[in-house]
Amino acid sequence: MANVFGTTVKRREDPRLITGNGQYADDVQLQGMLYASILRSPHAHAKIVSIDTAKAKQSPGVVAVFTGQDLLGKVGLIPTAWLPPESDIKTTAHHALAVDKVRYVGDGVAMVVAESRYAARDAVDLIEVKYEVLPAVVDQEAAMQAQAPVLHDDAPGNVAFHWQAGNAADEVFEQAEVVVRQRFRQQRLIPNAMEPRSAVGQYNAGTGELTMWLTSQNPHIHRFLLSGILGMAEHKIRVLSVDVGGGFGSKIACYPDEVLVGYAAKTLGRPVKWTEDRRENFLITTHGRDMTLDVEFAGKKDGTFTAIRVKNVANMGAYLSTAAPGVPTILFGLIVPGAYKIPYAGVDVYGVFTNTTPTDAYRGAGRPEATYLLERMVDLFAREIGMDPVEARKKNLIQNHEFPYNTAMGLEYDSGNYELALGKALDMVGYDQLREEQAKLRSQGRLLGIGVTTYVEICGLGPSQVAGAVGFQGGLWESATVRVHPTGKVTVFTGASPHGQGEETTFAQIVAERLGVAVDDIEVVHGDTDRIAMGWGTYGSRTTPVGGNAIAIAVDKVIEKAKKIAAHMLEVAEEDVEFQDGSFQVKGAPSRKASIQEVTLQAYLAWNLPAGVEPALEGTAFYDPANFVYPFGTHICVVEIDKDTGETKILRYVAVDDCGRVINPMIAEGQVHGGIVQGIGQALWEGAVYDDQGQLVTGTFMDYAMPKARFFNNFETAFTETPAPRNPLGVKGIGETGTIASTPTVVNAVIDALSPYQIKDLDMPMTPERVWQAIHKGRDAQ
Amino acid sequence: MKLEYRHTYDSPRETVWAMLQDDSVLLRTLPGCKRLQPVGDGVYDTELGLDVGPIKGLFQGQVQISDVQPPSHYRLQLQGRGKPGELTADSHISLTEENGVTQVVCEAEAQATGLLASVGQRVMGSIARLLLGRFFKNVESELKKAAI
Repeated sequence: MANVFGTTVKRREDPRLITGNGQYADDVQLQGMLYASILRSPHAHAKIVSIDTAKAKQSPGVVAVFTGQDLLGKVGLIPTAWLPPESDIKTTAHHALAVDKVRYVGDGVAMVVAESRYAARDAVDLIEVKYEVLPAVVDQEAAMQAQAPVLHDDAPGNVAFHWQAGNAADEVFEQAEVVVRQRFRQQRLIPNAMEPRSAVGQYNAGTGELTMWLTSQNPHIHRFLLSGILGMAEHKIRVLSVDVGGGFGSKIACYPDEVLVGYAAKTLGRPVKWTEDRRENFLITTHGRDMTLDVEFAGKKDGTFTAIRVKNVANMGAYLSTAAPGVPTILFGLIVPGAYKIPYAGVDVYGVFTNTTPTDAYRGAGRPEATYLLERMVDLFAREIGMDPVEARKKNLIQNHEFPYNTAMGLEYDSGNYELALGKALDMVGYDQLREEQAKLRSQGRLLGIGVTTYVEICGLGPSQVAGAVGFQGGLWESATVRVHPTGKVTVFTGASPHGQGEETTFAQIVAERLGVAVDDIEVVHGDTDRIAMGWGTYGSRTTPVGGNAIAIAVDKVIEKAKKIAAHMLEVAEEDVEFQDGSFQVKGAPSRKASIQEVTLQAYLAWNLPAGVEPALEGTAFYDPANFVYPFGTHICVVEIDKDTGETKILRYVAVDDCGRVINPMIAEGQVHGGIVQGIGQALWEGAVYDDQGQLVTGTFMDYAMPKARFFNNFETAFTETPAPRNPLGVKGIGETGTIASTPTVVNAVIDALSPYQIKDLDMPMTPERVWQAIHKGRDAQ
Repeated sequence: MKLEYRHTYDSPRETVWAMLQDDSVLLRTLPGCKRLQPVGDGVYDTELGLDVGPIKGLFQGQVQISDVQPPSHYRLQLQGRGKPGELTADSHISLTEENGVTQVVCEAEAQATGLLASVGQRVMGSIARLLLGRFFKNVESELKKAAI
């Protein structure tokens, strides 16, 4: 009932999911279903000389084989949806199946549709393709060189876009007392959602309707794009993403294989299923990060920060994925000044085509990269001027009374209490004592390191007007319908499309608190474009701050209408009725009341409604936020490095996050935990590697190190609650703060531990080998 | 990927050389070699069946022998295509003799695509060495047989 907002309610979706009763796309079984398998290019860059599908077509069970040529004029191009303004962006042709040329290992060349998955897979091996192999380029800076092979004729020099923001002029750096410069590599990461991607298509020739079950974070965006690509009216396409097993950004994009399944189902008149295997997941599902960053950071000897300037050369892969161009530009560039008062900030971003898997959003998308470089620079600057890194941060953090704060990048930070979070984290970890202990251990030759990050991030995407201005070709509002049934039970329809984050629970808590009904009486429905009004999905930690507030407003509409009916029932004026704990009561006479359930029943019976009030009880809201939200916090990590093996051991990890009002502490903490793990994965272990020919050599879990539970101790987490001032619930996003904060925190700790060897920076991942090499180089130098 | 392999034979260089240049011997000694068909100019059509760890399958391709300087050096290039991907190798083989003992040094550079690259990369070096080892040992058995 009431007072469930802010309490730990166990995740209601879990019993369903852990007992195998989830409904993932690959669970869909339909009468007469066919299975698709896709032949993928083994070369990173090659001309297609010829494709012979004769043997494959004769293979037992094969129903159809399609090549890129077969689809010309029938299937549209795979579009890019985010086009940053004034960036001279080149949206080169991306065919669902390659025509004439393949541009990365994994690029689709042909699709087989057969009676069974095995028959389809076997027939793929019978397709004979003659390639003329071309030189490949995998590094973004190499791709910009004059002699580099060109991927797309209409993107000379392989530059996909060039975007600039802010202003930090040369004079600022020339006149600065202290300037620190550093180059950082944000290595390429593979999102590795637990559930591989899948697509099922079913076409009804009678009604002309295509139903698609997709692993999507944004079913309505998928429907929107599929409509254009397949040339079908939007209302004739239904996209379902009932349960989705993790996305982390990799299930935002509209992929060629999804389009192919839709086309095949429609053309063949039978249901078609395609599910990637794990190897395909490594190879073709979008990758993340992969940026080369050159940073200049200026300040005064007293510790004041004055300017930051970044050149970012981002690897976009072979094609521009759906949201990809927004990641190294808008989501990265605008947050570069971070939580500090830095008067001058400028970014210069190049997006570059290479013969690699397309990159797109990966948990944090742009903000982890920006936070990483900033928090590393703050440490390097502090070291340069001989100041404690915490002191340097304290001196420059935006103060409590300065909110709303306008940054050098033109953002208005909504609210914050940065020092409170920092102070709390320092207390939890016992900072001063730790520094003493570190000095003592150092004298014994032991390498203890302490790393700190004071971050702010931008999420809750976002105000639609801003979305338009930054080239996101869609709105970023969210829809909600709260339908109260005659018996007082409630169904909530949300256009946000959670895929594992627990919103079936937190959204029910929002309704329960506001409407005064039990959580168990509330059902949350998502991921179905036929049942739910247009919405924009889940990414950019928008689900709760945008989708959740849409629900709150829809509930308020329900209450507003119910109040009129209640007043009529209680025979008083509407102004004399107040709503509390699920009941409408007469002011001053609380015994005269009607419960929300009683009022609802009357709304549906409609025998005696006040004049001008329509029957039934439901509220729909389309909520367009007034601003983004800006969660913040402090993370501190303590590591010890074994100098004989180079291995980093995480001794303690403290996270104090502020995401405004917390709806469900357990779920929020879970999001923080997951984010920290993924962020530390980047810091210490993960990294996708291509060889010079563009072959992905980290294509299995043997070669790509995923963080495991046993790598970690307990995380010590806490929240401070500074309400978001610009939305009704006062909430901010918590889905990405962990990956944003933890990577620089751990790296700062590792570098701090290695400072006796005069090591200032190392490339991620900081594997034992890399650390060991650095220690030995440092020893030789001494 | 670069690799180097050495093997010594208790036979004179000319004998080893003759053995290494004999098509019928190569067919018997190349691990998994099912076919070695000369098509002229030192080029052979070949079929190799490999089954070592993750590298499994039938590879169709060509072997080209060039740069032949008897009895001390030749170059062998291999291109093979199979379901797990494509293999290309470029190797230089040199023979030196001291006191009746011949040392054969094979220096090769190999590249792979597809499954071979993404799954096989980490074991490719050791598998290549294993296969080369088998080949040179097979040649040794042939030498012993010939000596009898």
